[in-house]
Amino acid sequence: MIRFVDTTKVYSNGVVGIKNLTLRIEKGEFVFVIGASGSGKSTFLKLIMHEETPTEGEVYVNGYSVHNMPKSEVPYLRRSLGVVFQDFRLLPNKTAYDNVAFAMQIVEALPREIRRQVPLALGLVGLSKKARAYPGQLSGGEQQRIVLARALVNNPAVLIADEPTGNLDPKTSLEIMELLDEINQRGTTVIVATHEKSIVDTMKKRVITLDRGELVSDVQKGLYTNEN
Amino acid sequence: MKIRTLRLLAKEGTANVYKNKLMSFASLITIMTTLFVLGLVLLVIVNVISNLEAKKQDLQVKFYLRVDASRLEQEEVAMFIENSRASGVVSEYQYESREQAYENAKKDLKHESLMEGLTPDNFAEGYFVSLTDPNDSDQFIAKLKLLSGIDNQWITYPKDELERITGVVRVFNYAAIFVLAVLMIISVLLISNTIRLTVFARRKEIEIMKYVGANDWFIRFPFIIEGMIIGLLGALLSHLLTSQTYGWIKDGLNNLFNSIRISDLQLIEFDQFAIRILVVYIIFGTTIGIIGSLMSVKKHLNV
Repeated sequence: MIRFVDTTKVYSNGVVGIKNLTLRIEKGEFVFVIGASGSGKSTFLKLIMHEETPTEGEVYVNGYSVHNMPKSEVPYLRRSLGVVFQDFRLLPNKTAYDNVAFAMQIVEALPREIRRQVPLALGLVGLSKKARAYPGQLSGGEQQRIVLARALVNNPAVLIADEPTGNLDPKTSLEIMELLDEINQRGTTVIVATHEKSIVDTMKKRVITLDRGELVSDVQKGLYTNEN
Repeated sequence: MKIRTLRLLAKEGTANVYKNKLMSFASLITIMTTLFVLGLVLLVIVNVISNLEAKKQDLQVKFYLRVDASRLEQEEVAMFIENSRASGVVSEYQYESREQAYENAKKDLKHESLMEGLTPDNFAEGYFVSLTDPNDSDQFIAKLKLLSGIDNQWITYPKDELERITGVVRVFNYAAIFVLAVLMIISVLLISNTIRLTVFARRKEIEIMKYVGANDWFIRFPFIIEGMIIGLLGALLSHLLTSQTYGWIKDGLNNLFNSIRISDLQLIEFDQFAIRILVVYIIFGTTIGIIGSLMSVKKHLNV
């Protein structure tokens, strides 16, 4: 599903993002990527969604080889991914409904499909009643749910979340995580970068730990601080 | 892209014109002003050219028959000129009979003594011919020379003057093209600057679209529609402004020309050029709008 093969990413200013990373994430997995700031979590995710390209080695995502990918294919790679950001990134001048529908318009879905799928996605994240609200009128937790609905609406094979709870209070954070777990139960691969110990420890999922771009540990049913 | 999607994006672009009122207004004013300047410059050039062309019409082919031309030869010439007018080569002509020539000479020469011994029979019949297209003069004169009744020495045409005028008209034509090109570049730069501000304000939006997997045309298209609509509106408003301003200038200058007795200088009616100016404005306005949009979106698409 996702494969890093001897991947190294060095930024143009000399900073090493990822160093000699080799690992695979199988279909249907739930994976936490943890580490301190600057450990390479974000670079890891950016390489998957082709926001950055590897300097060495290769990254394979959903059958796409990210290295030397033609520019015109990037949108297709991204459509096979659902992406959730810490700062939400909703279109401010569109309603919750339109923000979710937008992801379907991009893939040129039939209007009939859009009318069917968008309410389903909003229902899944528990925000059917806020469909007409604009992002500015929603709380942080609600905005993040809309982002989740948008990420899910096209049934992506992989859902990537970069610090999805970074801007949320503990209770809301847990709700979002439960939602992610639920999404995972339905067969979607979920990859979450986070530095929130409590969440990682409660969920007991696979934990990949990075430090200065290198893989430190990779444990099934792990905790935030693994001794082994 | 599917028609359905294009329609959706067109609607989006149209809505954006209204949503980003302030920027739309700024772009609109920019396009309107540049087109207005462009239009006035073009109208000045068109006026100079049209007055010069009118001058060309005033140039006449003058020729005289031989004094000893036979009646048959006289009729041959008269028929040739009449036919030329019927076929449209000649726009109008004046005929001067021997008697008129005699009278005119008498009037011109103040001293009666100089006319002593001369009768109308010593004078030749003359024709003063205006050509529909002054550029036909060479051909026309060549034909005249074939007529035996005409004295070849006395066929005259102010060729030098024609060439001078033609040269000046050519210069003004080039000037028009040059002005058009320069103004086009200036307006694209101006408008792309204005739109760049709009796009900069919306770069986050563009980024989000990219992350969700929109391809470049999906993002560009609404901006193109937006630029096109603003360009079109700018063209229409500018046309109104130009016609009003030009009418006002024209009345003023024509009155001035009349009052200082150079009434053969006349500014042309705007109506004659209204449609052409409108077409130029619409083409320019929309092109400027579209190019401006494309230029300013480009930078933000590389995410």
